[in-house]
Amino acid sequence: MHSLYSEHRTWLHRVPAGTKLLALAALGTGLFWLQQWQALVACTVVCAALLVSLVPAARGAWRVMRSLLVAAVLIAAFHALWQQPLLGITSALRLLCTASLGTMLTLTTRHTDLLAVMERLLAPLSRWGLRPERMALQVALMLRFAEHFFVQWKRLDDAYRARSGRAGGWRLLAPLTIQMLSAARRVADALHLRLGP
Amino acid sequence: MNNPRHTTALVALFAALMAVFGLIPKLDLPLGVPITLQTLGVMLAGALLGPRRALLAMGLFLGAVAIGLPLLSGGRGGLGVFFAPSAGYLVSWPLGAFVTGLVMAQLPTGTPRAAALSAFVAACVGGLLVVHAGGVVGLVLLAKMGWAQAITGTLVFVPGDLIKAVLTAAVVHTVARGLPDWQLGGRAAR
Repeated sequence: MHSLYSEHRTWLHRVPAGTKLLALAALGTGLFWLQQWQALVACTVVCAALLVSLVPAARGAWRVMRSLLVAAVLIAAFHALWQQPLLGITSALRLLCTASLGTMLTLTTRHTDLLAVMERLLAPLSRWGLRPERMALQVALMLRFAEHFFVQWKRLDDAYRARSGRAGGWRLLAPLTIQMLSAARRVADALHLRLGP
Repeated sequence: MNNPRHTTALVALFAALMAVFGLIPKLDLPLGVPITLQTLGVMLAGALLGPRRALLAMGLFLGAVAIGLPLLSGGRGGLGVFFAPSAGYLVSWPLGAFVTGLVMAQLPTGTPRAAALSAFVAACVGGLLVVHAGGVVGLVLLAKMGWAQAITGTLVFVPGDLIKAVLTAAVVHTVARGLPDWQLGGRAAR
């Protein structure tokens, strides 16, 4: 499972994760209230320049930015169709700015660092019986289960092929569901024994 | 079935299911909103886990997306996706799963057939109505569309989501037969 994080060190890597998150929240809100298209064009230029300043780390961003560019063009075209081209341009530019800011944070911050910030932010939730400090365990468990879905599917498919000579297809849905739910129960029992109630 | 460790494991399992559905290729429609199987995950979580655990599962999944894991369909991830036109749909997944669970917990699940029917209704209310309502609000706020345009746009996805509700019912039917002690809608776990 590849994160978008890039190991190429840039100037933004040195800024602490919490600061970057705070800046993103502030800038995102600011952009939301900004209405003049001239100001938004200026912001887009600044964002693009920032993104360029992060090359070679920004190479991985292309995949994300491509789908965002398509969305921006579609929004602009949609509003132009309804005779409001200016509204379309401002919405599209706002989308590009906020999304590229978010992408920059993701590119330059390890997800373990962001996890640590999130655990701190979510700490008040422990009053309602949630365990934010277990979030790292939860994320790891989630990725492991995702892999297990494929392993289990392959195993069931192999067994079905051995019996019938055909691919299992949708027939495997029922056994897969039951096996995954049972697997979750076994993991829960194991966690219960290791970590206590 | 009712201790915090079961919550940990099941929440991770259903967040993983969302990730698996995200790996299946997506279909892009105009509006910049993709058709994915991920809303099926929202419906399944609500019907099988009940409101609280389903909410946590969606929260965990979106949290993992927010910290940059590329788990959304098409390998998207990071905070950028929460500003895209389709962000309204994403953000309403937890609420949709919660409502699906709430409705499921109120409806009869005595026989597999009754459970499947209840799951279909719950999925339509939570996974379809709530998620689409959130999506429309997102389109209006983020893409500055008019209400009528956004509602027309979202209707394109309804047939696909009805199919997903039927699939949810089929899975719930399977679970009700195969794991008779499974607490559908999280009855005892609330």
